[in-house]
Amino acid sequence: MSDSRWTMTRREMLGATAAALVLPLLEARPLAALTRYNFAARVFTPAEFALVDELSDIIIPTDEVSPGAREARVAGEIDRRLADALDPEQVKRWKDGLRAVEDLSREMNGTTFLKSTPEQRVAVLTKMASTEDETPGSRRRRRANPSSSIGGFYRQLKGATTRAYYTSKIGIHNDQHYKGNVFQTGEYAGLDPT
Amino acid sequence: MTLVLTPPPESPEVDLTTTYDAIVVGSGAAGGMAANVLTAKGLKVLLLEAGKKINVEAELRSMQWPYEHPRRGDAPPGWHALSLNEYNIRKPPYAAKDSAFKHVWSYVGGWGGSDYVKNILVDEKQNPYTGTNYAWVRARVLGGKTNIWGRLALRLSDYDFKAKTHDGYGEDWPISYADIEPYYDRVDRYLGISGHKEGLPHLPDSLFQRSNKLNAGEIKLRNALKPMGRTATPYRAGVTTDGVKNKYRSKCFGRGACGRRPGGCDIHAAFDSPTGLIYPAMDTGNLTLRTNSTAHEILVDPKTGRARGVAFVDSVTHKSLEAKAKVVVVGASTLESARLLLLSKSPQHPNGIGNSSDHVGHNFCEHLMGPGVTGLVKELVGKEHGIEDGRPGGFYVPRFRNLSDKQPGFLRGYGFEGNSGKSIFPDSTDRPGFGKQYKKEVRDYAGAFINMGGFGEVLPRYENAVSIDPDVKDAWGIPVLKFDYKFGDNEKKMAEDMAVTAKEMFEAAGIEVIGVDKELLTEGWSIHELGTSRMGSDPKTSVLNQFQQSHDVKNLFVVDGSSHVNASCQNPTWTIMALAWRSCDHLADELKKGNL
Repeated sequence: MSDSRWTMTRREMLGATAAALVLPLLEARPLAALTRYNFAARVFTPAEFALVDELSDIIIPTDEVSPGAREARVAGEIDRRLADALDPEQVKRWKDGLRAVEDLSREMNGTTFLKSTPEQRVAVLTKMASTEDETPGSRRRRRANPSSSIGGFYRQLKGATTRAYYTSKIGIHNDQHYKGNVFQTGEYAGLDPT
Repeated sequence: MTLVLTPPPESPEVDLTTTYDAIVVGSGAAGGMAANVLTAKGLKVLLLEAGKKINVEAELRSMQWPYEHPRRGDAPPGWHALSLNEYNIRKPPYAAKDSAFKHVWSYVGGWGGSDYVKNILVDEKQNPYTGTNYAWVRARVLGGKTNIWGRLALRLSDYDFKAKTHDGYGEDWPISYADIEPYYDRVDRYLGISGHKEGLPHLPDSLFQRSNKLNAGEIKLRNALKPMGRTATPYRAGVTTDGVKNKYRSKCFGRGACGRRPGGCDIHAAFDSPTGLIYPAMDTGNLTLRTNSTAHEILVDPKTGRARGVAFVDSVTHKSLEAKAKVVVVGASTLESARLLLLSKSPQHPNGIGNSSDHVGHNFCEHLMGPGVTGLVKELVGKEHGIEDGRPGGFYVPRFRNLSDKQPGFLRGYGFEGNSGKSIFPDSTDRPGFGKQYKKEVRDYAGAFINMGGFGEVLPRYENAVSIDPDVKDAWGIPVLKFDYKFGDNEKKMAEDMAVTAKEMFEAAGIEVIGVDKELLTEGWSIHELGTSRMGSDPKTSVLNQFQQSHDVKNLFVVDGSSHVNASCQNPTWTIMALAWRSCDHLADELKKGNL
């Protein structure tokens, strides 16, 4: 059966790991992100939710074409997916990963991620992304390296953000200008083989 | 636009006291065709299907947007689909009875939009199997796997039917292309197929309806392959694009639903057995349908040794029941049919019915999958979204190996299925980095990729087999299959060659190669299992004659892929249906003559 599928699988999410590190004190304005959409997170604490919300919006920000991950409520969809996965290991990896982000922020910026300046936040993500494999496009997605910690979490975060964003209304219509999923009365798109 | 679908007809009451002309076991491509042809000839037929009857439109919901679904198409919590790793690292049965998951599916349930097939695929917990690693995909519902099949509809040629004459390996089929050609034509006309004529001797053209088109990258590939003597042709889809005379089906409107989900067409433009074959058969008034009926034994008349009926378990009540018929037609899928024959032991048939040759379950073959290539068509970067995924398929590169040439490393050949163009979920999210640049690249590169993956012929070998496991039973107490099946050296050499030629073809077309897959996927991945009750003219080395009729038991027919003598490298569904049609024509004539 031929297949071009829209997402990474649950297993691939499970494949990535993050190092378990010391619990940092999460400050900032955790409730703001949650109350913005009147949304009750099922897996993330308010502080974690705020962090995921910000990280996703740095990965896919608003630009001149379309709104970004925050407006597409990506953090909420990631929380939903984790809650439905019913896998405590997977939830733990996310929480560990988020703690690792905070630790990296403290190490690089001397403060929490959300208290850092926008430039400092980008610097943290740039550091996390430095382990990214730069040869995209295998027909089957590459399996994240389970031994790397922060790099593995980065791939997991990016994959989950991408999946949630490009299955959202904003992602499909405002950003991709997807034209399918309609009844067509004319010819198929494309060129005749002759 | 609202589509008005004709509701399915009602089946007459099942009467287990009567003797039907024929019982058909299984309602997929093979069983559906048997039921259709036999009832059209006036036979009274009872069709037994192990699975349930579902409202398939409500399952598939093809036009639903991901964000309209509460879980973006994910199955409910507690459902798990097996991954490639699980298939390779563990041994079957893959789903332990005490698994923490409520339900476990085959890998197809792990594709995006799994919620849309959760009631179509079987639960592995209820349907275990043992032995060597095998990714066995099963769908127990009315219509079986035709509800979600990949739609590629190809013919075989005498390169396949007479493969032994060509290269000396295995056996020839007891038929040639000339015998089956009229039946391929009938299947084309009755069910509809779209494609483009190429005039290739090794991939005969069908009676095509309007073809789907190629996009710019695919045209590049096609033009580059011509001087190499190879072809990239529009996907030959078992989809009616101009319509057929069938009130249960609609023609293809190019909605863009084909690649998004694990499969399925809820307007039934793509062929499926219920709307294409079974509902029209019910309209004759000659077909009685009983779903939730798991056949586990073909009953034998102790005096004559002939088949007298079928014993089955009601899948819901677990009650054992029997139905009687003059003829038994098995079309339960290659592996389930072998299981049923092997389970049907009697003093007359101690090895299982129809198995005096000891070939039932053997010569098991299929298509290998895995090697392939992904490329980037640079000219397409930054182009606005088209509507290419409204096509029912991408392209197909037919076999080119071991036709006039002779490869040193392996026998037989392989073809490639390919796809490219814009899809609902961008294929470009693998771009590196993050932020505005990343987002722009996802937008610009979406639809600029092209990929293809090979389907290669696995040689039929006697030692590749399934048998009945003496210990393990399924949820209905029926003994399960044990696999003893592995790819051999020919398959490994072929896979190496596939990766090389895939890359070479993209390079010839000026497509930037960005990934080459070399590894074989787990045995079974192609969902094209074939050959466990092969046809032949010698009753010592084959199970069925050229009309898929048992050499041992005259009133027993096996009309599915298990009858195939080799796998060829072409997808089997169209051949399964053409053969079943031919055999059931013969069956009806013989019954009228009193020869059965």
